[in-house]
Amino acid sequence: MISNLQSINYYIPELILVGSILLAILFDLIPPLKKWNYYIALIGIVATGLFLSMSFGSDKSLFMGMIAIDSFSHYFKWLFLISTFAVLLVSHYTKELDGTHRAEYNTLLLIVLFGLFLMSSATNLIMVYLSIETVSIASYILAGMLKGNRASNEASLKYVIFGAFSSGLMLYGLSWLYGISGTTSFEGVRQALVSNGNPLTIYMSILMMLAGIGYKLSMVPFHFWTPDVYEGAPTPITAFLSVAPKAAGFAILIRFFGSVFSNSDLTPILGLEWPVLIAILSAATMTLGNFVAVYQNNVKRMLAYSSIAHAGYMLMAITVLSNTAIISVVFYLTIYLFMNLGAFFIAIFVENKLKAKTIEEWKGLGFRSPLVAGAMVLLLMSLTGLPPTAGFIGKVYVFSALIENDQFYWLLVVAILNSVVSLFYYFRIVKSMYLVGTDETAKVTPHPVILGCILVLSFPVILLGIYWSPLITFIQSIL
Amino acid sequence: MSEILFYAIAAITIGSAFWVVTSKNLVYSAVWLFVTLFGVAGLFIFLYADFIAATQVLIYVGGVLVLIIFGVMLTSKIDTAKISQSSKGKFIGAVLSLLIFGMMLTVILTTNWKVGELQSVDSTVNTIGNMILNEYLLPFEAVSILLLGALIGSAMLSRKK
Repeated sequence: MISNLQSINYYIPELILVGSILLAILFDLIPPLKKWNYYIALIGIVATGLFLSMSFGSDKSLFMGMIAIDSFSHYFKWLFLISTFAVLLVSHYTKELDGTHRAEYNTLLLIVLFGLFLMSSATNLIMVYLSIETVSIASYILAGMLKGNRASNEASLKYVIFGAFSSGLMLYGLSWLYGISGTTSFEGVRQALVSNGNPLTIYMSILMMLAGIGYKLSMVPFHFWTPDVYEGAPTPITAFLSVAPKAAGFAILIRFFGSVFSNSDLTPILGLEWPVLIAILSAATMTLGNFVAVYQNNVKRMLAYSSIAHAGYMLMAITVLSNTAIISVVFYLTIYLFMNLGAFFIAIFVENKLKAKTIEEWKGLGFRSPLVAGAMVLLLMSLTGLPPTAGFIGKVYVFSALIENDQFYWLLVVAILNSVVSLFYYFRIVKSMYLVGTDETAKVTPHPVILGCILVLSFPVILLGIYWSPLITFIQSIL
Repeated sequence: MSEILFYAIAAITIGSAFWVVTSKNLVYSAVWLFVTLFGVAGLFIFLYADFIAATQVLIYVGGVLVLIIFGVMLTSKIDTAKISQSSKGKFIGAVLSLLIFGMMLTVILTTNWKVGELQSVDSTVNTIGNMILNEYLLPFEAVSILLLGALIGSAMLSRKK
């Protein structure tokens, strides 16, 4: 246990992040410096990353056991940094956000990033609640950023109401755990549960906990907000919400179930059957996501349901929660970050230039913008999980983690059937881009920065599909 | 004596909460909420949490509720609108709620809750202050970032342009 004062030595990346939040606000208040707000946000993220890489390899419990700085949280923090940086970069060049409050937008994104950092390293019930709430409250505002737009207002309101309800449920569940153990630290709660736990009580609190975390993952039955929020929110924010908070939700889920409801060898405490519960939720999540996505015409709504389905795939590995399963989830999340952000950035470009929202309106893109359309095909192949893309490798690792435990073969069958369904709706976009004729033949190209982002995100999708062993060995070596 | 008082306060709290959610008129709901929040403050006093009880009254009764009532009063036609509580499928809802209530009641009654040692202290403010700046320093500081975000957001959303 490290005292508060000494903890600060290991907490420099977060302090820099907080510093840049404050600087960003300050710069907005001084007229000549106003335009620098955006660059301060970017520099803040880069500086945080720089200091983060210096702290690599430390394994400490900071601030009287409130958070843990270890390689697990370290890896997730990189995922958050990359996605926030990319979203911030692209947001600056989309027409959608013109005339909105840019400075507030940048500042709130940094606050979400800070919340995500806390989520990935929380080891105390209070920090779990607080970090999720930091991410949520800033996201509610970001979703409603387009004030004149009814859909955006609706998205924000729905997000608030669902979010408040589910975080209330989670808080109630956490209070039960505190009621049994009398402590809020993960380790203390685990010991109390093992020595004095009533299985029924633990099941109830697990269910209520899952309401809060499942809402961040958009897990069935806590997914109702997802399509409306993803459709109504500004598209860069949708891209962000579909990747970063979801990754953080998995980080907190793994840490929570791994250290509170599992023994030190990652088997469930007291022989509880929570893996079965998660397996059922996982099957429901991916099936609902994929089957409802088939009926969507709006591209953003379709990608929203597809992101629900992907949460289902990743939840499969949580049912096993062995070391290989955790590695496979982390690997999948990395690939998911690239392919989902890439797909959403292309949607931003199409929406900006062609005012296209539905799949039909994407027609002829294959001829009007061959490079971007090619990247989209690649990303959609990866989202489906076809070789030789990274999505295929990610799925192979998640599936093979599941095979270790013969209890869940049925889940594997469900997942494979689901992948087949997903092929259908992803390729409706491809069909619309290449096979539907159009009168418009004028070439369209995205802004160079957006194009750059799309290409940079698409490249790893193909690279990791062919040569993935360095990444997986790296993840294996740190976890 | 104190037991009778406890049950009286608990009954007032739950009873008024019932009216908050069933009343068809938003203004009535807000007024009943006033009683509920006072009842909760009373329950805190029973737990020797005098500071939290005082904060509860100050923030929720004095701040949040007054704001809600102002919001209701300043919104035109809100007291005649009957949309505040329209519920469908009341029967299924009631059955489900009773089921969940029964389930929770059984679980709560069968759990070995941790029972702390009985302490009587004059004032909890000292302890709370010490804990916030020692054990709970990081949550305390993180809350300030959270509130900063909420402040920026609400200022932005409520501005005209």
